[in-house]
Amino acid sequence: MRDLIDIWVGVQAGLFETLVSPVLYHFGLMAWYEPGYSAVEFVMLGVVQIAVIAIAMRFFERRWPLEKAGKDDKLVTVDRVYTMLNKLGVVPLAIFIITYPLVQEIELAVRTWGYMPPRLERMLPWLGDNALASFLVYFVLYDFAAYWLHRGQHAFGWWWALHSLHHSQRRMTVWTDDRNHVIDDLIVTLALVLFSQFVGVQPGEYVVILMVGRLVESWSHANVDMSFGWLGERLLVGPRFHRLHHALSTPAERHIQDHNFAPVFPIWDILFGTAIYDGKIRPTGVDNAAVDADNGRGWIVQQATVFGRFVRALMPRFRRRVSVP
Amino acid sequence: MNRLSIAALAFSLVVSGTAKADSVIVLNSDEASYSILSRSTRTEVARLPVGREPHHLIVSPDGKEVIIGSTATNELLSLDINTGERKRVVKDILDPYHLGFSPDGKWLVTAAYRLDHVDIYHSDGFRLAGRIFIDGLPSHIAFDAESKTVFVTLQQSGRLAAFDLATQALKWNMPIGNAPAGVVMLPDDKRLLVALTGEDRIAVVDPKDGSVKSSLQTGKGAHNFFPKGDGRHYFLSNRVEGTVSLIDTKDDPKVVGSVRIPGGPDCMDITPDGKELWVTQRFLRRVAIVDIDTLKVVAGIPVGKSPHGVFMMKSTATVTSGLPVRAASTAGSPR
Repeated sequence: MRDLIDIWVGVQAGLFETLVSPVLYHFGLMAWYEPGYSAVEFVMLGVVQIAVIAIAMRFFERRWPLEKAGKDDKLVTVDRVYTMLNKLGVVPLAIFIITYPLVQEIELAVRTWGYMPPRLERMLPWLGDNALASFLVYFVLYDFAAYWLHRGQHAFGWWWALHSLHHSQRRMTVWTDDRNHVIDDLIVTLALVLFSQFVGVQPGEYVVILMVGRLVESWSHANVDMSFGWLGERLLVGPRFHRLHHALSTPAERHIQDHNFAPVFPIWDILFGTAIYDGKIRPTGVDNAAVDADNGRGWIVQQATVFGRFVRALMPRFRRRVSVP
Repeated sequence: MNRLSIAALAFSLVVSGTAKADSVIVLNSDEASYSILSRSTRTEVARLPVGREPHHLIVSPDGKEVIIGSTATNELLSLDINTGERKRVVKDILDPYHLGFSPDGKWLVTAAYRLDHVDIYHSDGFRLAGRIFIDGLPSHIAFDAESKTVFVTLQQSGRLAAFDLATQALKWNMPIGNAPAGVVMLPDDKRLLVALTGEDRIAVVDPKDGSVKSSLQTGKGAHNFFPKGDGRHYFLSNRVEGTVSLIDTKDDPKVVGSVRIPGGPDCMDITPDGKELWVTQRFLRRVAIVDIDTLKVVAGIPVGKSPHGVFMMKSTATVTSGLPVRAASTAGSPR
């Protein structure tokens, strides 16, 4: 294990000292020295994730596809672009640059007021001595927050305008998970970072939670009909469970997408009454021609179009306010 | 070696009574733990949980405790300097990134790196005497010999500030260079050395008014000092270049030696016999051991993520802290 760690940190340090550190030093950005080193690890983890998706997960999709090859195959190309931009850190870097000062300011204000967030270790002392238990507890809490954020994405019109981009894909694959508008990513990231700080997730734990969680989410979008069994399906989100959340609504199932929200642990849907386990295979996408038109567009056009949708979702409120005498 | 097997090893050592306090403590700042290393076997014998984001550690004025700053939990954790056992937790010390006791032992000063303030406490009871908000990432601390003034580097704003300890008033705040970090007062009490992490040099500063008298080229990312112990030579880590310089401070300071230590070398300490310099390598998760006579790396010890502060237990007592114990942030104890 130590050999693997040595190889990993050797590559990380080599990349940092060769490519990143000289740039930060040259431009007088030494305050970003430590975050820069962490960013290199983030990109390396992204490469690992892409490899797992492209090699392992795609193997199952090729071997046991749920939807056979067809005319919609080309719609997947843009999702690969999303995955590359996200996993290799381009989008996260932009989000980090925006959120980091904001998070710092919030933390500064909270701590200056003398308020100490209630760290879990204070309530559960044994957590401090058990790394695996600590990780799992924080992972479950993180997923709980992500579940409610996901419900928010479906509950508010302006947020759905952004999130609908994710649902517009008719051809769900292991690449679909990263298909999100950057503003949507920004909001979710900011909320989850603040939540994590509030409950006391360590930076190292946060990265691992993010990596494991996102891999599970990539797999849950896979174009396969695989089940973890009755119990497994209730312990971990899989493709069959999550596919229902992407199901095309019909007159008979108008609100089918308001189910199976959980990112990793289905327990939240079970507890809050949003779980459906009926085993039916449904077509995916959205029952809205304007949103469905996202398909076939490239990354830039999708981002611009969905931003317009987002603004229009907000504008009627402003107009009403202005018109009030 | 995972944490469980480390704990098992530590347990067996403690039970068999073979774990002597030739120990070295290393703070793993990114994984909320500290490593206990053995000087004789050059191995990690235990890794124990501690607060959140521990960076630096110091010795208490009475010499009985090692005090660790847990920045994200706003606490100090103290260990018995002889046994390594946990003694107490001091709460409500905001963001104690870097910390130091004045030479007379009356004052504790902390630099709140992320929260942009300098706190001056009465050492007796850790009562806050004054909190000074100051922009620019307060980074490292040094004192004058008379314990009247504390000097604090401001890494973001490129300045060095001096505060009167008794009144907590700002005496001066002067531009020094790009990203000043480590600062040390020389034994003559007339020169401060300031490491400029954004440059490849150190500044020699007049402690009376903060004026820069001269500078010395060392290596890119000059960061932190440690005295060799002869009152004349100082080691300096150069984080970007990946070297440690040996500086002779007699008359005009000059570099008299250098050793390559990759992986962002940072804090240092010297073995009690004065033969070895131990250096934390932040990026490689290791501690490098340098033979001081030859200035060559003779060994390395794997530790946790982002090792920062390092401290030699000088005593020969038996280490009894080998078993994982409750995290500092949870071991509620009076001040």
